[in-house]
Amino acid sequence: MSHRRLTPWATAGVLAALACLSAAAARQQPQVPLPNKPDTLHFAVIGDNGNGEKPEYDIGQQMLNWYNRFQFPFVVMMGDNIYGADRPQDFVKKFEAPYKGLLDKGVKFYASLGNHDSREQRYYKLFNMEGKLYYSFKAPKEDVRFFALESSYMDPDQITWIEDELKKSNEKWKIVYFHHPLYSSAGTHGSQLKLRAVLEPLFIQYNVSLVLSGHDHTYERIKPQNGIQYFVEGSSGQLRSGDLRRGSPLTAFGTDTDQTFMLMEVDGDNLTFNTINREGTVIDSGVIARRKKNP
Amino acid sequence: MAGVMLRRICTRHLVVLVLSLPVVAAAAPEQGKPRVNPNAATIKEFLKRVDAYVALHKKLEGALPALPKEATPQQIDVHERALGKLMQEARKDAKPGDILFPAMQRLVRTLLRPIFRGKDGLQIKNEILDNEYKGNVKLVVNGRYPDEVPVSTMPPQVLMALPKLPEELEYRFIQRDMILFDPHAHIIADFMERAFN
Repeated sequence: MSHRRLTPWATAGVLAALACLSAAAARQQPQVPLPNKPDTLHFAVIGDNGNGEKPEYDIGQQMLNWYNRFQFPFVVMMGDNIYGADRPQDFVKKFEAPYKGLLDKGVKFYASLGNHDSREQRYYKLFNMEGKLYYSFKAPKEDVRFFALESSYMDPDQITWIEDELKKSNEKWKIVYFHHPLYSSAGTHGSQLKLRAVLEPLFIQYNVSLVLSGHDHTYERIKPQNGIQYFVEGSSGQLRSGDLRRGSPLTAFGTDTDQTFMLMEVDGDNLTFNTINREGTVIDSGVIARRKKNP
Repeated sequence: MAGVMLRRICTRHLVVLVLSLPVVAAAAPEQGKPRVNPNAATIKEFLKRVDAYVALHKKLEGALPALPKEATPQQIDVHERALGKLMQEARKDAKPGDILFPAMQRLVRTLLRPIFRGKDGLQIKNEILDNEYKGNVKLVVNGRYPDEVPVSTMPPQVLMALPKLPEELEYRFIQRDMILFDPHAHIIADFMERAFN
C-alpha cells in the first residue's frame, strides 16, 4: 500500500479544517456560564505551559482578561512548568513574564512537577510547594482540599502519604492533580495504566470528585470513570495538533487545535468549569456534582 | 488498602528479607552449614554505598547556605550548581559501578525481569520509554543531568521492586540504562547500562 505525504499547505488546510470543526462543535454545545458568585471558590487550571513561547503568553494574557471579570485567587499547575533549561532567566521567560499581570494582582500558583521539571522547582517561592514534592492545601473558600502529587516518581512513601491525606481529609470536595493522566485519548502518551492501578482505587475509596492532569498536549474532558471526573489540561503552552484520537470512548469533549486553560468555580456541591482558548472563547463548559460518600 | 500494604512491605529490611526468602528456601538447609543469602548481602552492600554517598552529600550540602523553602530562582540555581561542584570535586575519582557495583547490577536486572514480563510488563516498559527526547545521551558519572532530557516516569511497580533510596537519590531511566540521580545536585551519581531488554 502506498502512502502519500501531505504537503505543508495541505497539512495546514487539514489543521484549519479540524480547527473549524472543533470550533463549530464548541459552538453547538450550550455554554454553561460561570456563576461568578462573590463567596464561592474560584480557581484556574493550566498545564504543560512553561515553554516561554508566544502561545503561553497569549494564554497568560487571556487569563488576565478573564481575571478582570472572574477573579480567581489561585491557579493550579499540572506540571512541565519550565521546559528545558531552568536558569534564573528561564523562570522569568517561561513563568514570571507570561503571568506577570496575574502575579502583580496577587494570584498564587500551586505547582505540581512534570517530567520536564527540575525537582528543585519545589523550592521556588512562586510555585508555593514549600520544598515538598507532593503536598495538600485547603482552599480559602468552600469546603475543598487540593492534593498535588509527583506522578513521575510514585514511590511507596508517596502512595502511603496520599492514602493517609485522603483518609484524614474531611472536606466535601477532594481535588487531586498531577502531571501524568490516568485517562487520556492522546496518541503520544495516553492513559498511564500502571499509575491508574495504584491511584484510582484510593480515589474511589476516599471519595475524590475531580482529578486534573496534563502531560498530553491536548485538552480532554473524560467521561466520568467510577464516578470521578477526569480532565487532561496539557495545552496551556504546548500543543500537539492532531494527537487526540477521534472517536475515543473515553472522550466527552476534547480538542487539540489550540492552547487552552480552565476556570472553575465551586459552589456548594457543584463545580462549574469553562475551558477557554487563546482567543478567549469558551470551548467547553459544564457542571460537575461532587461525589457523595461511598455507602 | 494499597498504601497500607505498601507501608508494611516497603522498609529496607523487609525488602532484604523478602528478597532473601527464595534464596533461603532454595539453599535449604544442609545440616550444620550456615545459610547463604547472596541477595541480602548484595543489597546490604549497595545500601552501604548509598549511605556513604548520602553522608557525603549531606556534609557538603550542610556547608552551603541553606536553601529556603521559598527560594528565588537565583538561590536555587546557585545552591544546585555549588552542591554539584562540591560533589564532583569530592568524588573526582568516582567511576561507573562504584555504587551500582556489578553484583548489584545483576540483581537489579533480576528484580526487574518479572516486572517487565508479559502484557503488564510491556505497559510498564512503554511508560518508562515514553519519552519525547529521542537523542543519544552520553552518561557520565558525576556529570550534570542534561537539561533537555525529561526525567523518565518511574512506575510504582518498578520502585516497589527496588531497594528504597533516601531522598538524596532517585532511580531513573535514560532509555534502557538506569541511573542514580541526585536531584539536589542535579548530577548522575552512578549508572548501569541495559537495566532491561
